[in-house]
Amino acid sequence: MRLLTTDFFFSIIRIATPILFATLAAVIGEKGGISNIGLEGIMMMSALFGSLSAFWSKSWVIGLLVAMGVGLAEALLMGVFAFKLKTNIILVGTAVNMIGSGGTIFLVKIITNNTMGSALTSTTSLITKNLQIPSIQIPLIRDIPVIGKILSGHSLLTYLAFLLVWLTAVLLYKTPLGLNIRSIGENPNAAASVGVSVSKVRFITIGIGGILAGMGGAYMSMYYAMGWSLDMVAGRGFIALAAQSMGGGEPLGSMLAALVFGFAQALGIKVSATGVDSNLVAPIPYVVTIISLVIFALNQRRKERRRYKAAV
Amino acid sequence: MSKKNSIKFSIIRGAAALGIGLLVAFLLIFFGSEGATLGEKFSSSLEAMREMLISPLFRKNGSFSLKNLSDVLAGMIPILFTGLATCIMFAANQFNLGAEGGIMLGAFVSSLVAIYVKLPGPLLIVAAVLLGALASALVMLIPAVLKARLGVSEMVNSLMLNYVIMYLVNYLMKAHLADTSKGITQTFPFQDNALIPQMIDNGSRLSWGFVVGIVMVILCWFFMYRTRWGYGIRMTGINQPFVMYSGMSVTVIIILCQVMGGFLAGMGGGIEILGRYNVYNWSALPGYGWTGITVAILAGNNPIFVPLAAFFMSYLTKGCMLMSTNADVPSQLISIIQAVIFIFFAAQQFLSGYRQKLVIRSAKEELAGNGAGEEVRK
Amino acid sequence: MSEEYAIQMKNITKIYPNGTIANQDVSLNVKKGEIHALMGENGAGKTTLMKMLFGLEQPTSGEILVNGERVHLSSPSAAIAKRIGMVHQHFMLVPSLTVAENMVLGMVPKKSGVFIDSKKSVELTEEYAKKYNLQVDANAKVMDIPVGMKQKVEILKALVRGARILILDEPTAVLTAQETEELFAQLKNLKEQGYSIIFISHKLKEIMEITDRMTILRGGRSMGIYETSEVTPQEISRLMVGRDVILKVEKEKAQPGSEVLKVRDLSYINEWGKKMLDHVSLSVRKGEILGIAGVEGNGQKELVDMLFGFSRPNSGIIEVNGESLIGLGQRQIRMKHVSLVPEDRMLYGIASSATIEENLISDRSGSPEFNKGFLFNMNAIHKKTEQLIRDFTVLCKNRSQQVGSLSGGNIQKVVVAREFSNDPVLIIADQPTRGIDVGATEFIRKKLVELSRSGIAVLLISADLNEVMELSDSLIIMCGGKIAAYFEDTEELTDELMGRYMLGIEQQDPEEIRRVCHE
Repeated sequence: MRLLTTDFFFSIIRIATPILFATLAAVIGEKGGISNIGLEGIMMMSALFGSLSAFWSKSWVIGLLVAMGVGLAEALLMGVFAFKLKTNIILVGTAVNMIGSGGTIFLVKIITNNTMGSALTSTTSLITKNLQIPSIQIPLIRDIPVIGKILSGHSLLTYLAFLLVWLTAVLLYKTPLGLNIRSIGENPNAAASVGVSVSKVRFITIGIGGILAGMGGAYMSMYYAMGWSLDMVAGRGFIALAAQSMGGGEPLGSMLAALVFGFAQALGIKVSATGVDSNLVAPIPYVVTIISLVIFALNQRRKERRRYKAAV
Repeated sequence: MSKKNSIKFSIIRGAAALGIGLLVAFLLIFFGSEGATLGEKFSSSLEAMREMLISPLFRKNGSFSLKNLSDVLAGMIPILFTGLATCIMFAANQFNLGAEGGIMLGAFVSSLVAIYVKLPGPLLIVAAVLLGALASALVMLIPAVLKARLGVSEMVNSLMLNYVIMYLVNYLMKAHLADTSKGITQTFPFQDNALIPQMIDNGSRLSWGFVVGIVMVILCWFFMYRTRWGYGIRMTGINQPFVMYSGMSVTVIIILCQVMGGFLAGMGGGIEILGRYNVYNWSALPGYGWTGITVAILAGNNPIFVPLAAFFMSYLTKGCMLMSTNADVPSQLISIIQAVIFIFFAAQQFLSGYRQKLVIRSAKEELAGNGAGEEVRK
Repeated sequence: MSEEYAIQMKNITKIYPNGTIANQDVSLNVKKGEIHALMGENGAGKTTLMKMLFGLEQPTSGEILVNGERVHLSSPSAAIAKRIGMVHQHFMLVPSLTVAENMVLGMVPKKSGVFIDSKKSVELTEEYAKKYNLQVDANAKVMDIPVGMKQKVEILKALVRGARILILDEPTAVLTAQETEELFAQLKNLKEQGYSIIFISHKLKEIMEITDRMTILRGGRSMGIYETSEVTPQEISRLMVGRDVILKVEKEKAQPGSEVLKVRDLSYINEWGKKMLDHVSLSVRKGEILGIAGVEGNGQKELVDMLFGFSRPNSGIIEVNGESLIGLGQRQIRMKHVSLVPEDRMLYGIASSATIEENLISDRSGSPEFNKGFLFNMNAIHKKTEQLIRDFTVLCKNRSQQVGSLSGGNIQKVVVAREFSNDPVLIIADQPTRGIDVGATEFIRKKLVELSRSGIAVLLISADLNEVMELSDSLIIMCGGKIAAYFEDTEELTDELMGRYMLGIEQQDPEEIRRVCHE
């Protein structure tokens, strides 16, 4: 089996894209002190409504916008419970995930039953090639040998995701909103005492996360899998949380972590193509997550010890 | 606030959460219902709601249905165990979400024992259930130890483990254990003496495992409220630095509660599989872990309220199933109702304005009472 | 003319969601261009009243007027808009941001409409620093600057937002004498420019020195408004505590026995490389109270952390009755019969939503006395709890009441009841009466003396000079992580003398200090 083919590296990027969207949502959230485990559920919901709207409107643009809107709406609703009604954010996320799995299948059944007269259990039959989010060939780069084959020809959203890594860094470190987000994550009382509306900034923070997760969901149902089906997000929202902590909470580091997970999944697919049971390969990313969290924690600890020794 | 007011508030709050859940359900059913006019839609929605709320206990003609009740009770069995598991872990503020994987692993390991290990009589059941529980407890050591020693989030790790368990069990099934003569992936049948006897033989699959579950509820309550370990777990949930300062080992408590959680979830898996089926055929995570979280939240992390919460969830689930067959509303509605009730229960500030009113009234009464007291003393 | 007043708070009552009545029918008025003291013991309701004035809390009833105009202060932004600024007791700064970033938080100067203009932030900071003569390092991260500078940043933060009315919540608590003096000069300067200042404190001397008028609170109620020049310190203290108490604790002369706690050459460098303890040596003997005085932040906290196993010294010896404590956890330290009344009682001392009973048994939940096999012996636990509640006169409805719903004094009595009743050989009492009512204070102090006379060694750490001087048999003063002085007898000590050692103006020679080891 040849591993280091251009196809393989191309698929890493392809697979890492939805994880990257959710990871950026997790990065911004954690900077603002919000652990959003509901990203998984938001992605499911966005994937569903994104694909349905694309089908109804015959336009992937509308589908994408609806997916982002649904992500935003759901995130803001989470905010109402978490910030206004003081619900533990993990429990809010759990509720969103419940709706994301069982709830979406209920919704898809009654919606398709109402609109098409038959209750579908997935939307894979609805998303045709022309509703897929388009792939883009990048001039010049596409002609470079090897590199061109890896970097060119991805979905529009893939390029957007990598652009968003940079935008996230700018947002967090170069804008007043970023300053507010970071200060609220570190000392909300300090921000409140100078008149920053903690609640407003938290809503913005979780809202941005919702939009990002919505884009991840759209990528899943309108590009990666061509249609929504039950539990299709398969833990990517959770993996994003792992990537966030593995990347030290910074946009660039977390992007690299997301690529590591992309690599693990791509490897899984590659290996199962050779006849190995996919059930044996599928858990690799989850195991990698656990191992990487441990390595990250050990590293942190070593760094602290080293800093302490240097100080002494 | 006085104790009476406290209880009054809890009841009103619970009822309000329930009411909102049912209202959301009604709106969704209404939206999905068929009918030419709004009036028709309304009445068919009402019919569906009636089906969901009444039919788990009563037949169409209004007579009580023992079969339906025993179905509801049987449905409580797995979520009694995952609910207890979650109660104990959440009580220590350990957000371990691994009851889902735990119950699957427990069911799987118990099944293997039930198929391949030769033991006399009911001893086989005991061995199978215990080994399933132990396997799941052992796996929970991973997030527990990593949290206690390295501070790694038990939440993320337990979620990851759910998937790892699911895929590995599926792999073992497909590659080595499945009975290939059958069309679907399932194991060879359990030995006869591994099957947990039924309490009522009416097809409800209400096994004696239900009684074991109730016994575990009582044991867990004693554990949490009458032993030093349960005490340590509860105090850790309230204030971890206090526990450390008091000379208890936070590390041990963090590990203990999660291992116990794993044990209970695994035990639930064994009891469910040996009480309900005669082969192992789960190919995906069963969802009982998530329902267990709902049960724990509804029970306020107190084991003694777990049966009540589990009954409620099982009742609703059964109601949604009957509604889906009789009124053609998809049964997954349960997920949404569950999520809505769950989140309103978990919302600390839900109805806080009303609570504040009660508090102020109490405080004012107290003030007036004190004033009067002073007068008398003078 | 109502315009005479910058602030009028009328008949304010505040009831917290947990039922605590923090303020009851309190009125306060502050003139323009005056420094107005808000006095009262901890827990008298000063901070709550000010939180309402700064929009952090809303009054349950009553009204607030700013410059004669009725206002509704729903948030700090609303208060800031009314030109009210507050310097909190616990600094409201974001440690990982720079001074300039903290300054402009919430009002960031922008360039190209979206980005932070860092240069302008720094310029703005420096401009204000110069204008009000409050020198700060604009580019330093807040976590790296000294406490005095943090306070200046806080004041500048209020000024840069246009505040004309400044609330200072116990501003001198963390400052050295020099820094306090500097602060006072700056406050007088502001006052001359027409600013109104509300100065919260319970330090009489400072109040007499700097304020024009004062409002005294006691138990959530106002005891009236007074001209500072027309009241005597005795009157103020009578109004504050309700009776002319000087908490004299009668105690016989100590008969020290054998050495219980032995600390030798203890040094500790914290994670940022600052030397917090520098070759500290001391001994506490059976039957005596050794006091540690000093301005907070001079190594007392670190010393307690070492003694109770919360952190590990870089070098030195800690022994209790000849056995080393270094490297032991809290359980093993407690097994050597060491008790600690922690400084931060809400963090370490109690689990606030648990019951009184559950809080009283936390250090002994595994003891044979309270367990029968696997289960708790509930009868024994109830009996012991009832007895402790009686012995320590904890005012409560019953043993199942939540500890968090008790008053500060009663919470501390619960902590003390637990720590004093587990057969200790050494009690470390860290600020044992901070912020609690007079009755509880008196009770705890008497109890400490009583226990020491029964043969227990007591190490008392207190920022309250009165307390260390009254209770201690002998006393050390810590300054800059070192022992600056040792006094074998506290009878002859004066505040002035102690002050000089506390501020590092004087220092005894090592021979004199070494006497604390009784070798």
